[in-house]
Amino acid sequence: PDGTKKRRKRNRWGDASDNKAAGLMNLSTAITAPMTAEQLDAYVTHLRVEEISQKLRINDVVPADGDRSPSPPPQYDNFGRRVNTREFRYKKKLEEERHKLIEKAMKLIPSYHPPSDYRRPTKTQE
Amino acid sequence: MSMMAGTTNTNTETSRVLCLMNMITTEELMNELDADEILEDVQEECAKYGPVVEVKMPRPTGGSRQNNGIGKIYVKYEKAESAMKALAALAGRKFADRTVVVTVFGEEYFDVNAW
Repeated sequence: PDGTKKRRKRNRWGDASDNKAAGLMNLSTAITAPMTAEQLDAYVTHLRVEEISQKLRINDVVPADGDRSPSPPPQYDNFGRRVNTREFRYKKKLEEERHKLIEKAMKLIPSYHPPSDYRRPTKTQE
Repeated sequence: MSMMAGTTNTNTETSRVLCLMNMITTEELMNELDADEILEDVQEECAKYGPVVEVKMPRPTGGSRQNNGIGKIYVKYEKAESAMKALAALAGRKFADRTVVVTVFGEEYFDVNAW
């Protein structure tokens, strides 16, 4: 109304008062040691894999209201149950992101071990 | 001041530039609307720690989807002191449900877009 562009999503920053320590234990987020671009890339890849793994473990996959994209049309199975639920969609998205990152990490980090709950996806039709 | 020796070893303690990581995906950057919103969110938040000279967010252009700077956001402050304040405050914050990782970045690289 006041002439500003309509935003698709609200401000993406989380609350400053969120307890940082409760999140990713042992993984440093303020990097002060000198690292090469490659080292930083490898580290951030690892951190994101851990972050996604944690979300999947505690089933914290659906973003809060206002952070989500518009839902696609519903799809149903033969029994009339909705297949592409919000939880299903976001979980799948995270799993796919994690899969790509793990493939990348295995190339970047010689001794890399994927998280124990990671299963390589079996090929399915697109 | 010598530009001859040790150009790879920047004096990170006094840099006025930060590099923010793990905040955005290439997909988000490909969408101009999303990318503009992200830039806006970052500029606004970073300005809380002191006057910002410039924010650079490399975007995928043409055939270069994978470029060193893509996925990172670089912020240059007027004062190193502000950069250090922002580093402490922003590291570990959430941005679109992702944990922000922050490091200092060499000013001379920022100025010439050497990501």
